[in-house]
Amino acid sequence: MKLLTKTHKYYLVFLVALAPVMIVVDYYLIRYMVNIEVNEILKHESERIKFQLEKEGELPHSSYMFDSTPVDETSTPFSQFNDTLIFETYADKLIPYRTYEFTALVGTERLKISLRHILLEMNELILGLFAATTLILMLLATGLFFISQKISEWAWKPFFRNLSKLKNYDITQKKQVHLEASGISEFEALNQVATALMNQVERDFQNLKEFNENISHEMQTPLAIIRNKMVLLLESQSLGEKELQWVQAAYQEANKLSKIGKALNLISRIENREFPRLDSVDVRAIIDNIISKMEEIIKFKDLKMAAKLNAARVKCDPILADILFTNLIKNAVQHNREGGYIRLLLNEEKFELENTGEVLQKETAQLFNRFQRGNTATDSFGLGLAISQKICELYGFRLGYEHHEGKHKLSLFFNS
Amino acid sequence: MKILVIEDNVELLQDIKNFLEREGNVCEIAPDYKTAYMKVGIFPYDILVVDITLPDGNGLDIIKETKKENIDVGIIIISAKNALGDKVYGLEIGADDYLTKPFYLPELNARINALYRRKVYKGSKEIVFNEIRIKPEKHEVFVNGRPMTLTKKEFDIIHFFVANKNRLLTKEAIAEHLWGDYIEMADSFKFIYTHLANLRKKIAELGGKDYIKSIYRVGYKFTDWE
Repeated sequence: MKLLTKTHKYYLVFLVALAPVMIVVDYYLIRYMVNIEVNEILKHESERIKFQLEKEGELPHSSYMFDSTPVDETSTPFSQFNDTLIFETYADKLIPYRTYEFTALVGTERLKISLRHILLEMNELILGLFAATTLILMLLATGLFFISQKISEWAWKPFFRNLSKLKNYDITQKKQVHLEASGISEFEALNQVATALMNQVERDFQNLKEFNENISHEMQTPLAIIRNKMVLLLESQSLGEKELQWVQAAYQEANKLSKIGKALNLISRIENREFPRLDSVDVRAIIDNIISKMEEIIKFKDLKMAAKLNAARVKCDPILADILFTNLIKNAVQHNREGGYIRLLLNEEKFELENTGEVLQKETAQLFNRFQRGNTATDSFGLGLAISQKICELYGFRLGYEHHEGKHKLSLFFNS
Repeated sequence: MKILVIEDNVELLQDIKNFLEREGNVCEIAPDYKTAYMKVGIFPYDILVVDITLPDGNGLDIIKETKKENIDVGIIIISAKNALGDKVYGLEIGADDYLTKPFYLPELNARINALYRRKVYKGSKEIVFNEIRIKPEKHEVFVNGRPMTLTKKEFDIIHFFVANKNRLLTKEAIAEHLWGDYIEMADSFKFIYTHLANLRKKIAELGGKDYIKSIYRVGYKFTDWE
């Protein structure tokens, strides 16, 4: 989830949770205020009435007063507020009133005087006020919400711009990434860290590349010399049968070493993305070419070849495509048994390779690791599959493998 | 023919020199850019064998120099880099062939011979070994004057053998010459054996002698020495 969406989500949750509480509080607050106001009016009126009574000895006229009844003289004086509904015939319904009852002396007589104030308008007032404040509250909340959104977007803009720059960063392209300055100290700190990291990675990458180049160069020349000297030894007449065997074994191992070096070098070059071409490669032509180069060995091993190749084009480097399909097909030929079969299927989605072979002891996942061999009888270095795997990783192809009692099926999906 | 080998590793340089001189060539050596530059400028050579990485310069510059000075010489690059860019660039600026280290000396020898034939004899030169006569450009082989019917691989083998006569050719060197990376070693050895059996039979049918000697399971030698 995006950061902005996330923060806004919490704002919204807060607002939704708080709004009813605020509205309820608001309602009761206003009602309370109105009641106080009405109470004050009634109280004020009662004060006036009492004052008049004391001064003139008779009840003054009051529009609030609706009842005055004599009460027992001995009863204790009291005053109280009440909410009540009174049936008004003119309106033919019950009307809410707030009443105030109090006792007062008129001469020696004790009167219970009731004042009332209609709450009808007050209720409307409460509703009106309540609606207005709610509206204001809502407007304020949404307004703030949008403003904060805009501010966030604006403030985060340099961050997102730098982010997309970092996303497009490709170490094999020797292009420096210049991160934008934003004036926001957190972002500046992030930029500094990112730049430092990139510099470090570039240095390491460069070192690794040089190391790989050097090692392949430095290793192959001595190997060439070793091999030459061993051939001289094998040619010389002075060695006995046993010694010749030793030299032969050493010669073969030197050859293996040289192949391992070449394969590892290729893997690291793929990992370093040194094959930048993205041609639309005609896979069928490549496979046809490989099959024609292997025709002899296929015939020699008496393999039945059935190829159903449809036209297919894949975006990749043609050299790597050639290496990939050569490896896969070579593997199927090499690990086949005499008189077995190879079936090839190619279409726009996938390349499928089915062949007979020995029963494998290894797990599928292990098979693609460097130096993992399916069986130990042959002199494959297991590097072919590792190279294939690397090429697939580079282009997002997916390699699937299954085997069942000597039948192997390898599927290469071009769009994983 | 006269060959100049430019290579910074002196040991490898000696190996190449010894190998090529045994074939009856005149082989000079240059362990660095300066020496190479001087020798190319002064002496005429038929073939230059150039290593790209030199201690004091780039082998590619020597190739450029010969092209600039219009020196007519066949050029073979030997490089450990195996970088395709180098290969393409090398051939673009005028090199004739490219070999990746570590290469088999018979392979280098075969390439030098082929290049020399192309350059000097325009490919028309025949290779003769006793009763066997090879016309490389036509892919034809004659034994006692009678033409042999050979598959392409059989021709490649006999051509490679005669070009490296009297030398031990290991199975690995033969396999790489014939199939490059398209075949695994274990398969190729059996395969070579079958091809050679056929070849022996075909030569014998035309009255040729069996020159293919098996050497301690490591390889073969094409020789009329006893």
